[in-house]
Amino acid sequence: MPRTPPRPASRKRPAAARRPPPGRRALNKQRTRDRIVAAALALFQSKGFEQTTTRAIARRARVAEGTVFNYFETKEDIALHFLELEVGHAIAAVRGNRRLARAPLEEKLFALLESQIVFLAPYERFIGAAFVQALKPASKLGWSRQAAELRLRYLAFVQELIEESLPRGKREHSALAWFGPPAFWVYYLGVLLYWLHDPSAGKQQTLAFIDRSLKFGIAVLRKGGVK
Amino acid sequence: MKKPEGPTRRALRMAALTAGVTGSYVGYLAQRAFLGPDARQKKLKAVHTRAARKMTSEMLTLRGPAMKLGQTLSLQAGMLPEEMLSELATLQMSAPGMHPTLARAQFRAALGKTPEELFKSFAPEPFAAASLGQVHRAVTRDGERIAVKIQYPGIRDAVANDFRWFRTVSKGAQLTRHIPGPTLTELEEQILAETDYGREADNLEHFRKRLAPLAFVSVPRVYRKYSADGVLTMELLPGVHLDEFLSSRPPQRLRDLVGARLVELYYFQLLEVEAFHADPHWGNYLFGKDATIGLVDFGCVKYLDPRFVAGLRAMYLYPGDRTGPEFQKLLEQRYALQGQKLAPAAGKALARFAENFYKIVYPPEASRDDQPFDFSDDSAIKSYMRESANLARSRVALPEYLMMARAETGLYATLHRLRARVPMSKIVRRFLPGT
Repeated sequence: MPRTPPRPASRKRPAAARRPPPGRRALNKQRTRDRIVAAALALFQSKGFEQTTTRAIARRARVAEGTVFNYFETKEDIALHFLELEVGHAIAAVRGNRRLARAPLEEKLFALLESQIVFLAPYERFIGAAFVQALKPASKLGWSRQAAELRLRYLAFVQELIEESLPRGKREHSALAWFGPPAFWVYYLGVLLYWLHDPSAGKQQTLAFIDRSLKFGIAVLRKGGVK
Repeated sequence: MKKPEGPTRRALRMAALTAGVTGSYVGYLAQRAFLGPDARQKKLKAVHTRAARKMTSEMLTLRGPAMKLGQTLSLQAGMLPEEMLSELATLQMSAPGMHPTLARAQFRAALGKTPEELFKSFAPEPFAAASLGQVHRAVTRDGERIAVKIQYPGIRDAVANDFRWFRTVSKGAQLTRHIPGPTLTELEEQILAETDYGREADNLEHFRKRLAPLAFVSVPRVYRKYSADGVLTMELLPGVHLDEFLSSRPPQRLRDLVGARLVELYYFQLLEVEAFHADPHWGNYLFGKDATIGLVDFGCVKYLDPRFVAGLRAMYLYPGDRTGPEFQKLLEQRYALQGQKLAPAAGKALARFAENFYKIVYPPEASRDDQPFDFSDDSAIKSYMRESANLARSRVALPEYLMMARAETGLYATLHRLRARVPMSKIVRRFLPGT
């Protein structure tokens, strides 16, 4: 059986491998954070966002109430953290699927939305509440710096997907590149609303809605141009 | 002479055709044409769309059941280019194609897990279009090769909505019986049945059991544990579609044998099983070099009343004069069974059909049993077309005819494409003891 050739001495190891493993303290902190988030999500889903108290979160996560505040200032910060995880998961799902690299834009954006929905599905009730919460003027979920950064990160990825779908010379003049990301944000909120109100088994209506509307929307924006 | 028609009625008819029967599929088609990846593709689709519209507007001159007849594509064999027919076939019953991510999402929505989690392998690209969905190849963890049929999400609601809308806009046409109510109900039931994969699984199991006496026929086994609403998993059958079978230039003897077996299969279903596969799409038949026939896609199946079948037995290979009063009496009985009265025009048209088509293709004299009917000539198809058009104009509203005509036109079109010579009466006589 042929042996694996030894790695050349000059070859550099990847950055992740060079990084020292996280210490026990950091690991414990991460575990506590995860426990708090999991406890909060379970309560948001079962009791409702408004009704959940930090005390109840602490009790469920088996930590002191003060510990919760060490990690998150408010319940909304926990919700924002969850949404950051969701966006990170969806971007990784699209980028991690090698077959999608050559797929048309419609399919990539569909994959992005679908992985978000799959991620959110166990917390549907909470998402409904968070949606309403985000509309309140003082809400961190809708109007804070963190929320804006998260939105920008998400839309930057959408922009990336749009641009890689356009021929090099056409990117500057394409209506899709100019208006695609902001239009997509409004569209994404619409999809969430549709999904929340979709009574069909397995949310099949939402899948059909995303498929048809994406095809149509992209086709319309492709036809347009900026002179 | 053709009666001139007012613009309102004409517009209603157009709406009836586009929205009522093909409903959202035409909408999808329009969308697909609009969204095609390149100009050529778009143009091609536009041409096909125009062709399909022309065809369907022709079909509009035939009323009621003929409208559906017109949509059963094999009907046009020998009269239109095959390329156009195959495109019309996709027009009729095709949902928009699903990209691999949507198919995977729909699979997960139906079964709770992704195909990769359940199977050893799963082909992301489909290998066939199915009624309102598509079929993917896969291999189970035990190494069995399977076909996974995945439905376009939410298609049932779309069909139901189309019909609801169509019933409202076509009230006038229903009152004048240009679109008979029972026929509309039959159409809706059939199209909805085609979207019900649970019912299709039951059909598959029923036919697999009942067609077992015909050793040359195979029906795929259903994998219930991998099936749900929107997903149907079956055994992958061997064999090739008609086009590929014909491209291998099968000898006349083989074509004749396959043709005879198709006829035997049809009448066995009708007269012994008392239910038949009513979707004659060529993609639903798989042919082997040993003249075996694989039958797939049991979404469109018609179960018959045994009394109706008894009526068929009495009329098949009828030896006497088919324009005479005795034959008319048989026809009246057949209609009475369904609680309907045979209109004189319908009786006349049916008698004419029996005389001008059936008596020629299926001669009743036993002495002629060994003379095969040669389907290489398209005159039989044309004659069938002509007579069914005539029948449709007489507003015959027996719903059973709808599906029988669909299956029968498919059968004759296949026999024509096979250029088969088949002793039709000899085969039918096997199922009619005492003739």
